[in-house]
Amino acid sequence: MLYKKYIKMHIKSSLEYKTNMFLLSFAQILVFVAEVLGIWLLFQRFDTVAGWTFYDSLLLVGIVMTTFAVTETFARGYDEFPNLIKTGTLDRLLVRPVSIHYQLFGAKIEFSKLGRIILGIILSVIAIININVEWNMLKILVLISAYVCGCVVIFSLMLVAAGISVYTIENLEFINIITNGSKELAYYPLNIYNKWLTRIFTFIIPVACFNYLPLSFLLGTGSIPMWLCAISPLLGMLFLIPCLIFFNCSLRRYQGTGT
Amino acid sequence: MKNTYVSIFKMEFKGELQYRAKAISGIATQFFWGIMYICLYMAFMSSDSVDGFTITQMASYIWLGQSFFALRFPGIHKSAGYEIANGNVCYKFTRPINLYNQWFTEYLGEKLASTLLRFLPIIVIASLLPTNYALSMPVNFTAFILFIISLIIGGLLCVSISMFSIYLTFVTLSPKGTTTIVATIANLLGGAIIPIPLMPSAIQNVLNFLPFRYISDLPFRIYIGNISITHGLIQIGISLIWLLITIVIGKLLIKNALKKTIIQGG
Repeated sequence: MLYKKYIKMHIKSSLEYKTNMFLLSFAQILVFVAEVLGIWLLFQRFDTVAGWTFYDSLLLVGIVMTTFAVTETFARGYDEFPNLIKTGTLDRLLVRPVSIHYQLFGAKIEFSKLGRIILGIILSVIAIININVEWNMLKILVLISAYVCGCVVIFSLMLVAAGISVYTIENLEFINIITNGSKELAYYPLNIYNKWLTRIFTFIIPVACFNYLPLSFLLGTGSIPMWLCAISPLLGMLFLIPCLIFFNCSLRRYQGTGT
Repeated sequence: MKNTYVSIFKMEFKGELQYRAKAISGIATQFFWGIMYICLYMAFMSSDSVDGFTITQMASYIWLGQSFFALRFPGIHKSAGYEIANGNVCYKFTRPINLYNQWFTEYLGEKLASTLLRFLPIIVIASLLPTNYALSMPVNFTAFILFIISLIIGGLLCVSISMFSIYLTFVTLSPKGTTTIVATIANLLGGAIIPIPLMPSAIQNVLNFLPFRYISDLPFRIYIGNISITHGLIQIGISLIWLLITIVIGKLLIKNALKKTIIQGG
């Protein structure tokens, strides 16, 4: 299978620069640990925020970290899309008899993010053990769907960013605000923010659907109807549809940069 | 000789000024981030003040951090790291200038220019926001003067700490990895991830003995009046000592690294 070959190739090429790969992974993990330490320090001082404890918040972090790391590892090609356009690599990919999405998933695999995936999972497990939830089948399903929804939403954001770069050629800082902003924002329960911030990150970019809402369902808190919280990850996944349409439309407009 | 460094500085400064579009989107990012952090810490603080650190002071602290964003993050000059990794640095060996000084001025120029491009719009907009979210005026004129002095020392300290990334790049040949590691440590221990006044007091005491909080935490807290003038003066003295120590160690390390560098030809 072609995808297997892609993965093999990327592992081999990363291993060519072992120190670099090791240091990059270490650096990635350190950034992550520093962020979690920061959150821990805040909770050391203040105990709870809007009724959420450290471990409740840690599960938010776990979900956000794991899903971001998974998506960034495997869909890096979409992240690098402006570069593909600038260097003309995209033209080459488009003439190949394989779907563009297939190739973009194989274009670049960031193994230095693997450490983050593992740590994200570890944090999620620590949080799940420590939070006060009576587990049942439905709750487990909601939690799993939250992880899936996270990957889908983040991937959709990458699609939009890639689609925009067809017109602008440049990578826009503005998109980074949205992706990185939603990452930072989602470390804490969304209801602590301004109303308009919460609304943007629920209805326009459905970040709430893969952390705040499903977690309110697990914890049984919040003012939103429980059934809505439970199906929110499924609703969030619908975000992929307009994003995919946008990306494909943009790609149809693509004319190349002449390189 | 002095002229050399002045022109290196000028060159970097002018080069950075070319990126105006980058600066504008940078400002938007800083602004969004500022609002987000203020909302976040407000939710945590719930009551008006925590050990004398009020919500208005917190907002000012965040906005100062956003305005002087570039001055508080130790990194590495964009070309220096890659020069070392790909070996082009050897051309610099032939030039009759001290490489430490060159890297120091290059990076200082880059940082200063990107700060000057960004800080004013953020300060102006942040001052106009409704109370609790706004950047307030400095507590008094003396505090303002001390703020400027300590901010300059802090900026220099930030660059001198960045020089350790250059040394580590010589050792590991991985500029991105080492820079991230040094920057992350400095950010966490210097109050750029969570403001130091919001940390547990035991941790705050430990951080007083490390150089990192003198980069930005000290000037910001002098500005908002969280540190009195006399305490501020003493701590400015400490930060000067740290600046000296980090420069001396950095110079020794880089001298050592340059001695060990082997040019393999090619």
